[in-house]
Amino acid sequence: MTAFLQNCFAGLSLGSTYALVALGFVVIFKSTGVINFAQGGLLALGAYLGYTFSNNLAVAFGVAVLLCCASAALVGATFERIVLRRMVGQPPFAVIMITIGLLFILEPMITAIWGFDQKQITNPWNIRTVEAGGLVFGVRDLWTIGLTAAVVAAFFVFFRYSSLGLAMRVTAFDPEAALAQGISARRVYATSWAIAAALAALAGILMAAGPGGLTPSIGFIALAAFPAMILGGMDSPAGAVLGGLVIGLAEALTRGYQDELFSWAGSNVSVIVPYLLMIVILLIRPYGLLGTKEVRRV
Amino acid sequence: MGAHRNVTRGYADELRLFGTPLARTGLAALVVVFLVLPTVVQNDFWLSVLIYVGITAIGAIGLNLLTGYCGQISLGHAFFIGAGAYAAARVGGEIGLPLPLWLLAAAAIGAALGGLIGPFTLRLRGHYLAIVTLGLVFIGEHLWRNLTDLTGGNSGTPVTAGASIGPIDFNSLNLFGESYSRNQGWFWLVWGLVALVALLAKNLVRTRPGRALQAVRDRDQAAEVIGVRAGQYKIGAFMLSSAIAAMAGALFGSYQQFVSPDEWNLLLSIQYIAIVIVGGLGTIFGAVLGAIFVGALPALIDRYSEAIPGVQTSVGGEGFISVFALNQALFGLLIVLFLVFEPRGLAGIWLRIKAYFKAWPFSY
Amino acid sequence: MYAKRWRSWQYGLALAGAALLVAACGGAGDEGDTGGGQAGEPASGVGFDGTTIKLGVLSPLSGPIAVIGQPLTEGNKVWFDALNAKGGVAGKYKVELVQEDTQYKPDVTVQQYNKVKGEVVAFTQVLGTAPTLAVLPLLDSDNMLAAPASLDAFWVREQHLLPVGAPYQIQAINSMQHYLTEGGGNRQSRICTMVQDDVYGEAGQQGVDFAAEQLGFTVANTQKFKVGTENYAGQIGALAAARCEMVFLTATPTDAGKIWGTAAQARFAPKWYAQSPSFVNALAKSAVAPYLRQYVTIAAEGTEWGDTSVPGMKQMIDDVEKYAPQQQPDYYFAFGYNQARAMTAVLEKAVENGDLSRDGVMKASEQIGTLSFQGLTGDYTYGPAAKRNPPRSTTLFSVDPDKPFGLATLKYNFTSDAAKQFQFEKANP
Repeated sequence: MTAFLQNCFAGLSLGSTYALVALGFVVIFKSTGVINFAQGGLLALGAYLGYTFSNNLAVAFGVAVLLCCASAALVGATFERIVLRRMVGQPPFAVIMITIGLLFILEPMITAIWGFDQKQITNPWNIRTVEAGGLVFGVRDLWTIGLTAAVVAAFFVFFRYSSLGLAMRVTAFDPEAALAQGISARRVYATSWAIAAALAALAGILMAAGPGGLTPSIGFIALAAFPAMILGGMDSPAGAVLGGLVIGLAEALTRGYQDELFSWAGSNVSVIVPYLLMIVILLIRPYGLLGTKEVRRV
Repeated sequence: MGAHRNVTRGYADELRLFGTPLARTGLAALVVVFLVLPTVVQNDFWLSVLIYVGITAIGAIGLNLLTGYCGQISLGHAFFIGAGAYAAARVGGEIGLPLPLWLLAAAAIGAALGGLIGPFTLRLRGHYLAIVTLGLVFIGEHLWRNLTDLTGGNSGTPVTAGASIGPIDFNSLNLFGESYSRNQGWFWLVWGLVALVALLAKNLVRTRPGRALQAVRDRDQAAEVIGVRAGQYKIGAFMLSSAIAAMAGALFGSYQQFVSPDEWNLLLSIQYIAIVIVGGLGTIFGAVLGAIFVGALPALIDRYSEAIPGVQTSVGGEGFISVFALNQALFGLLIVLFLVFEPRGLAGIWLRIKAYFKAWPFSY
Repeated sequence: MYAKRWRSWQYGLALAGAALLVAACGGAGDEGDTGGGQAGEPASGVGFDGTTIKLGVLSPLSGPIAVIGQPLTEGNKVWFDALNAKGGVAGKYKVELVQEDTQYKPDVTVQQYNKVKGEVVAFTQVLGTAPTLAVLPLLDSDNMLAAPASLDAFWVREQHLLPVGAPYQIQAINSMQHYLTEGGGNRQSRICTMVQDDVYGEAGQQGVDFAAEQLGFTVANTQKFKVGTENYAGQIGALAAARCEMVFLTATPTDAGKIWGTAAQARFAPKWYAQSPSFVNALAKSAVAPYLRQYVTIAAEGTEWGDTSVPGMKQMIDDVEKYAPQQQPDYYFAFGYNQARAMTAVLEKAVENGDLSRDGVMKASEQIGTLSFQGLTGDYTYGPAAKRNPPRSTTLFSVDPDKPFGLATLKYNFTSDAAKQFQFEKANP
């Protein structure tokens, strides 16, 4: 039982990271209809900026987290303003490719500036733990779960009650009608990119503050967050959070019971569990758990 | 006597592949380049770059049939390429069948796998399909690592498939008393196959099935209404594209003589998508152009990196960015610039130039 | 109109025919290897212009594995810089390196190999198991010599490869023996492994399995992981559940850091033995350092960085200060340095034979006999591939943040009987 709970905790922590990244995917997709492949690059950029703030400029870690989210948001919004705005009305496929292009630009920039070797961010968590009820909780993992919960709650309040959040929902629903009502689509697009980039940066710095430190390959986690987004439904923020947690838990539990239950399927089944789960769920519900069914007209 | 070269007077005229004198001269020039190039450029580096480009072009034609003509986005191309490479290792290397047979075997295996995945396209659309096929790459990698008997597992497998068609062995070509290097032989083999696959693809897309595919791409329900069986065509396109991808993979493996599971990753899939987009969606010619562009540009930058300021060509040397990093950044930048300024890709530029000269002296 | 069309086709055919004729004169198949004088001065030829010998380096200088490729290449470079300052090979021929970035990808490695093979005498570094396997057929057909920068056991029997150092299997076997005799374990101890899911991991596992057979213990649990995994709680939990008292780890530093960090968080404290590439200096300065200090032993070769009582180390430190003062203490750097020493021995022999052609270099590589690395790694007995004998010794280190490389010698040059028994075989027989 202890082992089970311990695995669940690991899954929740991993799932929170997925949820942050997946929520970023959904925010952009919902308002602009684009899957942002550069999310992993923004995540890495955020984490490295956090490293610079925390280590080179010796800012307190909490402030560094805020600063790195803010600067990543700025990068995201700038990219939207300079490049993606020109692509409005182009086929979504071309726009996806542009985000892949951005990823290819970000990666070498990061390694040219910060190098390939492993960095350790100065942070108050590292490998500290607390013990409760026979279980050991990593302080970093607790903060990851807590911060994710707080940020997600803040996002839903913003999305539900603020006028900008309303504008975002309206634009997502019908861009032309929104424009006709005087809603600035530009502001909505830029805001969604800024929010997504900030979420990615937060996920990045939370990961980098753990035992593994910071390497350029940190952005790969975004690939595992794709299934989280699809699983929940691409246009549902709540679905992204749910999908992230489900995928994280499934991955951690498969890993924990690999020897007992999954050894027949080869080693490291947990790595492909997110994708298998995604395929199974899509076969039952082609638009994800909470996604909206697309209405098709001839 | 004859009408103007651009006049079409019937369906047969519309179907001409190389109807105009200009096109015929172009074709002749291409044939000459094809035959002469390896004898002029004997350098193994450039030949091997061109061989990889040719192999990639074959795979890209396959992907373009699926994505460009049928409108199904697939990020799983790397999976089928890997399957083809392992097919070549087993059928061509271990069993020892000759080149035409192992190529066909790879194509058959590719088609079968495509047929397994194809039905997903009936249920999923657009972005959902893209991400599901992305999952295929990861699931595939898991299979390649664990099906040790078939793939050699993590250590990879040598591919000893022969490259002879009848008496002609492309590995050590001997023609008219002259002997040619392996790379020269492979250049002719691969680019000959590029021409063959391109011709087949072109013939497919300008006949009924091709038009049906495009109807499915543009609006699948409307296509159904006018009597196109959208489901069958989607699965068919998936099978065909996978079969061609597997052939490209088989060639890749047997040219490189060794393959490992690390090679069939998402980056490879993305590269293929980039080729198809940079080249131009929905054009056969564009797939080849894209492959040349995406394959040869890094090689050019690599070869002449010493001349580019700021590039670090050796450890401890001057410069702040490595050749690979510069390549990757440029690749990304080019994708962005292309799509912003010419969303129809290289083929679009080519068509614009052609249209300009065709309509000259009128601009439209 | 039809006549006209036919004419233009004729024209095309004629052109094609002419092209074929041109093609028929452009064969490059029987391109012979020039050079190869009988005695005295070696004749100039491919990669050697009479004064300078060019050597190829195929290494990941960018990408995730650049952390290994860069210091390793620097090690090659520092050795040859020092050699050139003394006059060069045989005191008169300078060595120049031609570096190419492989990004650790087999297909890129093949391309880069083709790019530079026409201008080099041999390759003093090919990094990575898969890239080396990919160029192996080309090495055979070109009769080219290359020094692989990985410790795989199958290199020993390949005549076109010039390996250095004790293979990973030997490190694993010696670690096991050390644990059973001096590390506080016995045959009933619960011994486990944690290996990464690739060839490198399999090499370590093979060593442990061999040791288990020889020394009579059983492996209680094996965890495999994928490179770049984000969360290791599952694996660590499984090892803890299997009540492992000792875990042999085969990993690279990023993953090793996460694994040990997770283990420390989970309060899981077995005795860890880890293969040499698992460790970098940065780990000794990270937050997990106290844990490493207490529970981790690293299996590598040679002596601790900066131990000038070993002649090879003293020479290397002097060279580093002179030619690469910015170089941090690094295990891979030393590896590259050793590789260059082995290649130099081959070149010296080839110059002595008066033949720097590919055939001459291959012949020389079989004649160098036993080569001493002055204590940086064990002596290697070269010769025809079937008769080579790699070193069988391992040095065990404990983690000590105060040392230059973060490692302090625990047991110097340890050779177990089991390691002597290990047989080496070819790759993909």
